[in-house]
Parts: sequence; C-alpha cells; structure tokens
Amino acid sequence: MSARHIASELSTLDISSVLFFLLAVGVVGAGIAVVTLRNIIHSAVAMMVCFGSLAGMYALLGAPIVAAAQVLIYLGAISVLILFAIMLTQAGDANLPAPFHRQLPIALVVALAITGIVGWAIVQTDWALATEAVGSGVETIAETLFTEFALPFEIISLLLLAAIIGAIYLARRPEEDERAN
Amino acid sequence: MGIDGYLIVSALLFGIGAFGFMARRNAILMLISIELMFNAVNLSLVAFNAFLPDDSGGGAVFALMIMAVAAAEVTVGLALVIAIIRTRQTAEVDQYSDLKE
Amino acid sequence: MELLIALIPALPLAGFLFAVGVGPRLDRVPGHGHHGDHDAHGDHEAHEGDDHEPVDDSHFRSVPTEEEQRETSPHAGHADDLANAEGAAGVIPESLNDGIGQAGHVTPGAERPRYRSWVVPTVLVGIGWLISMWVFAQVVFAGQTYEVTVYEWIASGDFVINISFLVDELTAMLLLVVSSVGFLVHVYSIGYMDGDRGFWRFFAYLNLFMFSMLLLILGDNFLMLYVGWEAVGLCSYALIGFWYKKPSAAGAAKKAFVVNRVGDFGFGLGIMMIWVNLETLSFREVFAQIGTLDEGTITIIALLLFAGAVGKSAQFPLHVWLPDAMEGPTPVSALIHAATMVNAGVYLVARANPIFAEAPTAMWVVASIGVFTAIFAAAIALTQNDIKKVLAYSTVSQLAYMFFALGIGAWTAAIFHLVSHGFFKGLLFMGSGSVIHGAGGEQDMRFMGNLRAKMRWTYLTMIVGSLALAGIPIFAGFFSKDEILAEAFNRGYYVFYGVGVVVAFMTAFYTFRMIFMTFWGEWRGPAEVWRHVHESAGTMVAPLVILAVPTTLLGLILGIPPEEGLIHDWLDPIFHDVAHTGALPGSILAGYDSRGEEHHFELLGLGGLLLLVGAAVAVAGVALAYRWYVRQPDAPGRFVERIPLGFGPGMYRASANRYYVDDLYQLVWARGGVLASNALWWFDAKVIDGTVNGAGWLASKVGGGLRQVQTGRVENYGLGIAAGLAIVIFVYAAVVR
Repeated sequence: MSARHIASELSTLDISSVLFFLLAVGVVGAGIAVVTLRNIIHSAVAMMVCFGSLAGMYALLGAPIVAAAQVLIYLGAISVLILFAIMLTQAGDANLPAPFHRQLPIALVVALAITGIVGWAIVQTDWALATEAVGSGVETIAETLFTEFALPFEIISLLLLAAIIGAIYLARRPEEDERAN
Repeated sequence: MGIDGYLIVSALLFGIGAFGFMARRNAILMLISIELMFNAVNLSLVAFNAFLPDDSGGGAVFALMIMAVAAAEVTVGLALVIAIIRTRQTAEVDQYSDLKE
Repeated sequence: MELLIALIPALPLAGFLFAVGVGPRLDRVPGHGHHGDHDAHGDHEAHEGDDHEPVDDSHFRSVPTEEEQRETSPHAGHADDLANAEGAAGVIPESLNDGIGQAGHVTPGAERPRYRSWVVPTVLVGIGWLISMWVFAQVVFAGQTYEVTVYEWIASGDFVINISFLVDELTAMLLLVVSSVGFLVHVYSIGYMDGDRGFWRFFAYLNLFMFSMLLLILGDNFLMLYVGWEAVGLCSYALIGFWYKKPSAAGAAKKAFVVNRVGDFGFGLGIMMIWVNLETLSFREVFAQIGTLDEGTITIIALLLFAGAVGKSAQFPLHVWLPDAMEGPTPVSALIHAATMVNAGVYLVARANPIFAEAPTAMWVVASIGVFTAIFAAAIALTQNDIKKVLAYSTVSQLAYMFFALGIGAWTAAIFHLVSHGFFKGLLFMGSGSVIHGAGGEQDMRFMGNLRAKMRWTYLTMIVGSLALAGIPIFAGFFSKDEILAEAFNRGYYVFYGVGVVVAFMTAFYTFRMIFMTFWGEWRGPAEVWRHVHESAGTMVAPLVILAVPTTLLGLILGIPPEEGLIHDWLDPIFHDVAHTGALPGSILAGYDSRGEEHHFELLGLGGLLLLVGAAVAVAGVALAYRWYVRQPDAPGRFVERIPLGFGPGMYRASANRYYVDDLYQLVWARGGVLASNALWWFDAKVIDGTVNGAGWLASKVGGGLRQVQTGRVENYGLGIAAGLAIVIFVYAAVVR
C-alpha cells in the first residue's frame, strides 16, 4: 500500500473508511495505552476500549457473530476476570514499583522489528483479492461450526471444563489446601 | 479499505502486545499483553475471512475457537498468577528467579 | 671336530652361568657391615668383629667412600686398586700374606675370607684355550677350514639366519689372540681382584665377555657378528662400570656404551643395506655377490660398516670412550681395551675386505682416519701422567695404524700388527696393573719412580713390552709396524708414510717416558707408601712372563722375511684376491697407482732402508726420552718454553686436555641434549598441555558465559523467543520472498 493509495483512499472518503480509521485509532491507541500506563487498572480499562474497537472492526468486516462474541467474551468475561485478579492481588498503591524492565530498549527494538518485517511483507504483497469485504452471515458460520468444526467445538467444551477445574483448584485458599491434605 | 489496512492494524497490535509482554514488570500486565496478541491474530483471521473468496466462513469460526481457547487460557493463567503473587507477595516477574542458573 | 668348535664359545657361557648361579656362595668377603642377608652370600658363621652398619647392599660395596679414601691415602681417588679397601695405609702386614694374592683385608677377629669363585670360570676358559690352539693348528698348518651350523635361528620366509661358525685363517688368528690373552687375564685377575667384594661378579662378566667375543669372531654371517658385537659392548659397560658405586666409573661405562652405540647405529644400517640389496647376510654369499652392486652402494655400505669399526675400535671422532674406560679394573683394560674388543673393528674391516676392495673411496676414508687418529692420539699420550691413560691413547694410536694398513690395502700387515699388539699391549696393561698394585693404588707417574728396585719381574716384563711397542728391532712390534710403513711407502702413500714415521717416533718417546718415570729415578711418592711397595703375587706375574715370550719372538717367527713372512703364507687364502687393492689412486696423498706391481724385499735395497729408518726413529725416541727423563729432568720444560711464538705452553695444555674433544662433545651433545630436552619439555608442557588445558579453560569460560542466559526470568525468555521469531520471519521474508 503506497502513499498514493492512501491519498486515493482519502480522496474517496466514505463512511466505512472513516469508521475504519476511527476504529483503527481506537485499537492502536488503546493498545499503546495498555502497555505504557503505570496504573494497572488504567491499563485494564484501556484494554477494554481496545476490545470494544476490535468488536467494531469485526462488524465492519461483516462478521456480526464474531463481534458479538468479542463483546460477550472479552469485554464481558475476560476483562472482568482480569479486573477481579487485579483487585485480589493489589498490594496497595503505596509504592508503585518501576513499570518497565531494564530490557525495555531491546524489547522495543525487537517488537519494532517484528512489526516492521510483517508490515513490510504486507505492503509488499500484491493482494489480488476482492476490494470489498464480504462477510459471513450467521447461517454460514453456524453451518461451518457444526459440520466442519464439530469436533473442535466438542473438544473446546472439554477444554473449558478442564480450565474451570484447574482454576478452582489453583485459586483455593491455603488453609483449605491443608485440610484437604 | 482493502485488506492491507486491517492487516497493518493487526500487525501493529501484535507488535504492541509483544512489546508489552517483554517490557512490563507486572505479571498481570503480561497476561493482558498476551490477550492483545490473541486479538491481533483474530483480527487478521476475520479480515482474511472477509476478503478471501471462500464462502464457508472458516476464518470467523476459527476466530471463535481462538476466543474460547483464550478464555480458558486466561482463566487458568490468572489462577496461576494469583497463586504466585500470593506466595511471593510481589507481582514483579523479575523477582521470580528461582530457576536462575 | 664340529663339537669342539661349538664348545669354544659354549664353555665361557657355561662359566658365566655357573658364576652367576653358584659364584656368590663360593666367596666369603671381609666385613664392613657384612650382614647376614639372603643366602646368596651365605656363610652363617658368627660375625664378631664386624661392625653392623645399616647398609642395604653392602656386600656389593667394593669401593671405599671418598672420605675414607681421602683419609687414608694422600693419592687416593684412584680406587683402581681394590686391595686398598681400607686405604693405602691399611695394607696388610706381611704375616697375613699367604701368597695367593693380597689376602683379604680382614678386620681382626673376623673370619678369614676366601675367594673360590674363580675356579670354574678360569678352568673352563683354559679348556677353551686348549681347544682354540688345537683348532688354530689345524687351520693354519693343515689348511683346514671349518663351517659348523649349530642351530637354525631365524627362518622367516626368505630371511634365514643360522647360528653357525666359520673358522678360516683370519678367524684362527683372532682365536689365537683372544683365547690366549683371555685365559691369561683370567689367571691375572685371581690375584688382582683378590679382596674385592664383587669377585664372583667379575669372573662372571669376564666369561660372558669371552663368550661374546668368540661369538663375534666365529660367526659366519653379519647378524651373528652383530650379536657378538653388541654383546661385547654390553660386557664392556658392565666391566668398565664394575665399581658402579663410583660415579666416574659409572659415567665412563655410560660414555663407552653410548659412543659405541653411535657407531653401532651406522653398522646396523650397513647390515640392513646389505640385506636390502643382496637378500642375504652370510659372509660367503655376500662376498660372492657384492660385485653385482654399483660402486656407490658398495661405498655407502662399506662406510657404514666402518662407522661401527670407528666406534668399537675407538678411532677419531669416537675415540673418547677408551681413555675414560680406564676407570675399570686393569684386567679389563688389558683384555677388552688392548687385546680383544677393540680388535673387533679391525676384524670387521678385514673380514669384509671384498666389500671394501670394491670401494676405493671407502678405503681412502679408512686410511685417512687411521693416519689422523694415529698422530692425534700419540700427541695426547705425550703429556699424560696417568700410566693407564698413556697406554689407552697408545692403544688408540696403534689401532689407527691397523686401520691405516687396511685402508691402503696392506691387509696382512694389519692383521700381523693386530696379533702382535694384542700380546704386547696386554702385557703392558697387566704390567701397569702390577705397578699400581705395588705402588699402593697410585696411578699418577709423577708420584712413582725407582720401582725397578722393588719390582724386578714387573720391570723386566714391562721393558720387553715397551720395546715391542716402541718398535725396537727383534721385538714383535718392530716387524709388524715396519711392514705397515713399508707397504705405505711401496704403494706410494708418501704423506701417510711420513706421518707414520713421526708417530713411530712419538710412540717410542712416550712409551719410554712412561718407563723412565715409573721405574727409574727417585721415588717421588710418600715415604709411607715406599715402605710397602712390593712385587705382585705369582698369579699376577706369571701372565706377564708368559706374554713376554710372544712379544719377543712373534715378530721373528711370523715376520721374516719382511713382507713375505710366515704370516703372509697363513693369511694368503683370505686376502689373495684383494692384496693389491688400495685407496684412491691418483689422489695427492696416495701417490701413484701401485696396483699390479709386485715387489720383493731386498735387505740391501729399498726395503732394508725403510727398516733402518724405522729402527732409527724408534731408537731416537727412546734416546730422547732417556735424555729428558733420566738425565735432565728440566729439559722438557725448557723445550716447551723455547717453542717459537710462545705456542709451547698452549700446545702442552691442549695436549694434556686431550685437545678438548671431550669438552666439545660435553658441550654439544650433553649440554645440547639437555637444552634440546628442555626445549621439548617446554613445548610439551606449554604448547601441547597448554592447548589441552586451554580447551578445558575455554569450555569452562564459555560455559560460564553462556549460563548467564538462563536467568530464570520469564521476560528474558520471552525476549529471546520474540527475537528468534523476528529473525525467522526476516529470513523467511528476505530469502524465500
């Protein structure tokens, strides 16, 4: 995607493009906020904003079911879970330790490298694809989910069961552990 | 907007998530960064699902699968992190160096 | 007859085994802490009067310590005379001398010592001598040649070596010398070694030596010769270092062996070359086929064989061991270094005459080294003060005469000189041993003098030997030496001849210098010692007298008429084909080519003139020695002063220091060897070990460094993973693209 392309895109502004840019800013901005804010709770909130923007992107891409799932799962369950975890392990805001490692510069370099290489690959590729997003409706997804992906679907249920059991066990209080022993 | 826009956003988000994982000291923040990376991948998948001529919707379904697995993973992961923070009394990962050579 | 010949070497071998097995039991040696250890020294009588020192192998201790020597004798340090186990002042009073020799020096109250282990070895050698004489007579007078195969030793494909003996005229001549002198030395040693703790060991080694030497001269192939060669080297080591507790003796033995080894290495290479080229080592076959090789190869073989002879017969540059070998007991010097072992080199060249005859260059080398060594050794003998050293350098010089003769093609003359030299040098050495014995262990002639007053027999026999060595007419040395010089002149080697004449003069001079310093003049030693000077025992004097006979008569029997005497008839079958070969013709030193010319001896012609020159030169040498050492004792000193340009004292010092050859070898080989060894040690320790240790050190450091990677922290690991990912996708994107 060249600068001229961007310019041509800008020149043919329509609602979907504007929405895309807004959402993109939301995603990337919130993402940067997540990793740079000192307070964890602020980071968690920024994370929620990021998830929300992503849901919007999914909707733009014509996959409403995925957008709904994103909101339900990420915003509804995972974010709450993370907030609870933060609350449970807060040692108090008395002394906020240094948020970044000593390896921050190298980490920055490596992350930039990854991003750069992938981005460069993306830009260099001639995507001979359809110019317009054609999403998948609920029926299509449902059909694929219950025929092609039936087995993974069942296995995921098992996975979730295992996760629940594991989480319960791990999060026990210490004296309950001792009594069990 | 063509696919490359979405893919660029996905790449950026992935990089941000990687940076957060490598650079932050708080254990929970590392898990959050992992979630960001998951989401970046999801975005990329759904984007391809939209722009590729295949009509089966497999990309979206795959994205759903990933969400489920991510949920399970964050559950167990957080349980572990809570346990560790409780025993070590600190959430800073550079304090967890018992396996140091 | 074959059995008799096989017995000749077998008897001494049996004697050796007997002496080793039973010998120790037969002796009882007096006490310095003779503690009742194992039965090997087995008399269980009480040892009252012995002081039981806590010494471990005291029954081998045959030499007093340096302190004891220094305490008891002002001139001790020459522990050659073992009778002085308690030092010169502790000599046995007459009442205890029972005539068998110096009865063992007993501490009063202890048991009377006895030495019986000489019986079997000496008797066996005596029987061997009788057999040898019988064989000699058969070969020489009846013209028989014997080839006896005793045992097939090696049969490996084409390589077949038998233990077999060849007795022809050349072997017979050597048998004569070796057996006779060997037997007489055994008899002599009964008296000489009396009182020595290692009495049985001495006879054991003597017998082993006889066995080896006989093997050497009887063998019919090069490998047997080499076996005997090496074995005599070993025996020489054992006998030179007989008093092994004495550091100088041990060092001399080592020196002899090592220097010999240098020559033996060349010899071995020569044998290998013979094998490689001719596929056989038997004398008969080798000599028959030697003509099929090209001259270059033959020359190399001949020179390699000669290298062995240079080592064994102590020619320059491998002469250095023989003077030091005087550390051994005098019978050893008489036997090994005068009459037998050193003749092995001459024997080798003589035996290999067909090889040498085909290689004139090699013969020229032989003659040149001979001539050079002759004058070199004579020049050293002029200034030596130790009586045995004079004789040692004299031996080197006379051997050089023999090689000189061999090199110019005078084969028979060389063997003639070998035989006569064996007798008179053996006589001289044994006589010197008698002198040392009588003079209380002293070997330095500066502290002797006027011994003829108290040691008549020794004196007379030594005179006879010296006359022979000096080359005074009638005596054996005159005929043999003159024949060599005449051959040199007749074949045109004028320069060699001239040098030979000069050497003859020097020989006569230093020989009689020795006589006059030892037997004439005033006694210059301590008065204490003079009181105890006495003639030696019968067993020591008898061999001297016996040897005086051939010394006087051999020349007359074998050497008249000169150049055509009996010895020529005897040895003609051996040397017939090569009688007219010689060193490089046409070379400056060689003169004109005299091959093919026959000449007869004329008393009133050239031959007689040469005889006269030789005799005159010898007499002149004796006269000069008389003038300088009897009449005007300060004349030698003034002579040295008067040498122009002030070279005199330097020349004297150079001669007395043996022209620094030994020092040169010490510097180059000994110290050089140590330096090289140190350098190699450094290389091994620092470089090789350094590399090995360095590898370990490197691994350790690298490991130590690499283990820093494992921090145990998840963020570092995550960084690693991400970095790896970046690299992989970069490679994928850039390369596979």
